[in-house]
Amino acid sequence: MKFYYFHLMPYVMEHDEPSSWVTLSNRLYDPKEGQRLYNEYLDQLEYAEHLGWDGLCVNEHHQNCYGTMPSPNVMAAMLVRRTNRAKIAILGNGLPLRENPLRIAEEVAMLDVASGGRVISGFVRGISAEYFSTGVNPTHSRDRFYEAAELILRAWTEPGPFAFDGKFYRYHYVNPWPRPLQQPHPPVWCPSQGSSETVEWAAKRRFPYLMVFTPIKRIAQIYGEYREACERHGYTASPYQLTVNLPIVVAENDAKARALAEKHVMWVFNTGLRMHPPFWRPPGYMTEASLRRFLTSPPPLPSELTFEEADAQGYIIYGSPATVRDKLRVFSDQLRAGIVCSGMNGGSHEGTLEMMQMFAEEVMPHFREDAAIDETAGVGR
Amino acid sequence: MAGEPAHHELSVRGTAVDMLSAGAGPDLLFLHGAGGAGRWLEFQDRLAGHFHVRFPSHPGHGGSPAAEWIEHISDLAFHYLDLLDSLRLERVHLVGASLGGWIAAEIAVMASHRLASLTLIDPVGIKVEGWIYPFLFGMDIPEIVQTVFHNPMAALALAPPDQSVETLAQQYRQGTAIARISWNPYLYDPLLRRRLARIATPTLLCWGAHDRLAPLDPCGQVWAKEVPGARLRVFPESGHVPHLEEPGAVADAIVEFCGRGEGPR
Repeated sequence: MKFYYFHLMPYVMEHDEPSSWVTLSNRLYDPKEGQRLYNEYLDQLEYAEHLGWDGLCVNEHHQNCYGTMPSPNVMAAMLVRRTNRAKIAILGNGLPLRENPLRIAEEVAMLDVASGGRVISGFVRGISAEYFSTGVNPTHSRDRFYEAAELILRAWTEPGPFAFDGKFYRYHYVNPWPRPLQQPHPPVWCPSQGSSETVEWAAKRRFPYLMVFTPIKRIAQIYGEYREACERHGYTASPYQLTVNLPIVVAENDAKARALAEKHVMWVFNTGLRMHPPFWRPPGYMTEASLRRFLTSPPPLPSELTFEEADAQGYIIYGSPATVRDKLRVFSDQLRAGIVCSGMNGGSHEGTLEMMQMFAEEVMPHFREDAAIDETAGVGR
Repeated sequence: MAGEPAHHELSVRGTAVDMLSAGAGPDLLFLHGAGGAGRWLEFQDRLAGHFHVRFPSHPGHGGSPAAEWIEHISDLAFHYLDLLDSLRLERVHLVGASLGGWIAAEIAVMASHRLASLTLIDPVGIKVEGWIYPFLFGMDIPEIVQTVFHNPMAALALAPPDQSVETLAQQYRQGTAIARISWNPYLYDPLLRRRLARIATPTLLCWGAHDRLAPLDPCGQVWAKEVPGARLRVFPESGHVPHLEEPGAVADAIVEFCGRGEGPR
């Protein structure tokens, strides 16, 4: 199994506002505190490479305290020059959110060239709230996503210049310099919440599918749908096409790990993902079929998720190294996920570094049967 | 008063339309606002005492299925010109409220010759300097009611019958149909304002004195200035939806306006 260190770069704070997204006033953001946090978080990502993590993950979110990386490519650029082995996974760029998605083709190619081909390029639609933050019409989200993805993939693989005349994006000259170093292009991943349309789209193109913060039963169901779709397209999914992103908390014993998880992981759900209800469901962001599925068995709002539910439904992994190993076996053996992305929070920068070290020394080595395999070979393109 | 309205299922150039109608007299087409589809209330009843009222639901609203081809407000304007053609209505009194007022104004700048008169009830649709329409998509129900209604009790007439998956899916479909044409720019067509001078039919502007979505000052004043010869009537006990808040008074104003002989009957 491969391990990727995932960072949200949250601006951890308590507040009584109805929403941590869109409307939480940025006067609550202290840039001096932000400076400290950015540098600690980047130290943690660099340390992860030092400890043996296979990949480092950054992602895009806007106007919130949950994740302060509006430009993941900026953070990836900082990591490119401070690391030399780990993959750098951008999970991902919000394609429909850009007015000029050719910039994504350019920026990711820059990172790929400068890093010597270590970049993984996630393509996402951006979450619901981001359509309020950017002004992009949510009813165009899916079509813009597909069109931008096609444009970027063609820009990476077809010799330029060529003309592109889409519904949303139009260019007379598509000819980005540089071209990516990885051939035919950097691996593309699809982080998603499991809409059947995206599963089908990713499986058809061999793009790894990443489930983010999802109950384990639903992960199993979506993985099943993805594997089926791959078979339908005439191939068997590699384990490295099935990826999960969930928080892991490890400590000397279960009780200590539980206390840390209850406090720090639950902040992500209860406060970080607290959202004014209309921001969850902008019109047209979901297809009506997806909406009906959602309404028929609505998952709990993250802000209302209790620790007991998160624990019982497998949103998180916590415990002593032995417990964490057992819980991870479910992902490696039963779900057959090839890559686990996870962030850690030990309550302080030092506590987080210690937790990372414990995980690297007492958990990771037990899952290294595949150490010699390149997880990006033959997938994502 | 007219009796129960008749229900029609039409096909307008292949687009399915659910329509109510009642009354006798000159032809009147009513274009509803957000949430108003299929709600035959006192206002429509009053009009049906004087006109042959036709009240279609916009595609994606009420009983009319979504129409993917509608991506711009002008698509809706052409859709209603097509509807007039398919009903063989040469000229109608056109009444539109809020979003329906916006559509009605788009029709009027294209084809005033199809209109015997035009009534716009708190329309949106133009950019007004110094005013940004409050973003209803970002509001929960209490905030929306607070913004749209002066008399919140009037909102009960638009309350959904239940919270079933079917009802919620229909509301989502309506929101989607509106967002497709008006998420950004929000509730206006940048080209419409300079075209309002083309309107060549007698025009009545009905405005709620307490409209907080498109306030009388500045929005109503700008419409009154831009539409040639428009007459502005203010309804003192209303917010954004006077036809729901003071239905009798608004209907009377329309009946009176259309009877003034300024346009052919």
